[in-house]
Amino acid sequence: MPSSPEQSPSRSCESNGATQAGLKSRCRQLLTATPLRVGVQFGLWFALLWVAADTATAANGLTLSKGSRDPLAVPQWLYLATGSATIGASALLASFMTDRAFIRAVDEWSLSATSLDGWMRLAGRAGRIVGVVSLFFAVYIGFSGPELPTASFTILVVFAGIRAGLPIVAYVTGNVWPALNPWRAIASVLPTGFRDYPGSWKRWPAVAGLLALVWAEIIFPVSTVPSVLATGIVLYSTITLLGALAFGSDTWFRNADPISVLFRFYGAVGPLSRSDGGLTLSLPGSNLSASSENPVSDTSDVAFIIALVWELTYSGFITTSAGVTTVRTFVNATSLVLRTDTRAIVVYSVLLLAGYAVFFGAYWYAGTFARRRTETYLTPETFALHFGAPLLAIAAGYHFAHYVGLFMSLSPALLMAVLSPFSPPANPLVLSIPGWFSGVSIASVLLGHLLAIWWTHSVSYDLFASKLVAIRSQYPFIAVMIAYTVVSLWILSLPSGTPPFLP
Amino acid sequence: MTHAEYLPNTKPERLQRWQIDSDVISWHPLMGQFETTVPGNGAPPNECDYCGRPFPTSDRLDLHRGIEHFDRLDESERETFEAARAEERDDLSQFRLKALGVLVLLYFGFLFLYAIFA
Repeated sequence: MPSSPEQSPSRSCESNGATQAGLKSRCRQLLTATPLRVGVQFGLWFALLWVAADTATAANGLTLSKGSRDPLAVPQWLYLATGSATIGASALLASFMTDRAFIRAVDEWSLSATSLDGWMRLAGRAGRIVGVVSLFFAVYIGFSGPELPTASFTILVVFAGIRAGLPIVAYVTGNVWPALNPWRAIASVLPTGFRDYPGSWKRWPAVAGLLALVWAEIIFPVSTVPSVLATGIVLYSTITLLGALAFGSDTWFRNADPISVLFRFYGAVGPLSRSDGGLTLSLPGSNLSASSENPVSDTSDVAFIIALVWELTYSGFITTSAGVTTVRTFVNATSLVLRTDTRAIVVYSVLLLAGYAVFFGAYWYAGTFARRRTETYLTPETFALHFGAPLLAIAAGYHFAHYVGLFMSLSPALLMAVLSPFSPPANPLVLSIPGWFSGVSIASVLLGHLLAIWWTHSVSYDLFASKLVAIRSQYPFIAVMIAYTVVSLWILSLPSGTPPFLP
Repeated sequence: MTHAEYLPNTKPERLQRWQIDSDVISWHPLMGQFETTVPGNGAPPNECDYCGRPFPTSDRLDLHRGIEHFDRLDESERETFEAARAEERDDLSQFRLKALGVLVLLYFGFLFLYAIFA
């Protein structure tokens, strides 16, 4: 506190003469009265700030921003006074909060960072909102939005997002689909569970659904015409919601919904899994051998995994030059029957189902052959079931190889569509893939196979007491894997082509 | 500890289903389950005394006993297990040599292939 203003008036009071003691004391009283002191101090501070503020702001202006400030719309004194009034008014408002319990509750509110449940629930809620909003946007924009595929929110979210990007997230980290699943979110607020899911069905509906979705993706122009895709989404939503309402949400999405089962299986390859109490980090693919997260427990699970591997091979094959030639040959060879369009659909469907049967048969035969070679009493079904889960690593490797390029090249367009779905740019940015990216595809196929080989080895040690028998039992499966690798690498090396006879 | 279901003998093969409840693998739904089928016309199988699982040869049975039921074995059975293990170790060393040979051949083979064709 500056003391000179206080002292000098009192000194001048004393110099007036000690004779007028009453006047002196009154003078002192007046000069040391609180209002005067406070007023003088306030005035001095105001003057100091007035003079110093300009210099301070100018100095700060030089250090904090090189550019000149925008001129104020109001006079500077009004701007400063508003700021001070804001602080004073908020202090007065705060003084209205007189409930001690409320003050204590705010004081003690905290979110524990180590317990994941709160964050998981929050993330789940956010995911559900994102999922449902995206579903409605996708349908609406599919019917009313732009026709250009790379500008359509619907096509980008479904193909670059759900077909390409989310499985990559699933097998690189863990399964996030249950949080984002819009149909699960919708079913959670509706009454469900009117029928029992038949135990014998297991995952067979999901197998049929996956093959049906792949078939629809090929036959119908869902990746080029947004309204067709929107219709497909509406159809799929109807079936899914009816199923979830009939059999119960958890049962349906665990067993019969192909998309949910797909993400659950790909998530088993990822290192993160959710156990009660929190997240567990393990080695990538460790859930494919002896683990409580192993998704395989029945032949239908093996059928689904082989469907995953086959659909990637098939959709890769028909978009190559060899695939195009094959389809053309078959369609032209049967040129006496039916129309070209119908014949083409039949050829594509027969190729899909026949190839799937060949893949499934080859895998099952490997189990029979392993039993014979090792002269063990274990049934071929035991082999097929136990060695089935490591195939998911192969599926993950194939998926990455086929879709990472697509995802990368469409990611700017996807981002722009998500940020402004109703007014996408007229010329969306599509990145072109550099030449060395094909090395990434080859590397991911090989890496998927390497992981599968390791986890198959681990599984064989669970099945057999004798180490040599365990090693020998894998030979047929290794032969199958080598054949798969050759086919997949061959497909990756072919020049691409457009599937013929399709709209 | 184990539970085996015997199916009626409609075929010459005998199918058994096994569910092992050991501490290590009881938390996995699949790993504790497997099926065995013994061909009806082959040699009689060696069956484990503790769980009844059939094995085609006696050394595999000895190895199984030592690995799965070690606590319940007596001295002579443990010795048999150790002998089987020692024999397996020799076989494994032989196998490793062969595998190493194949790897070396693969390496040099591809080295030459790339030198000639690439």
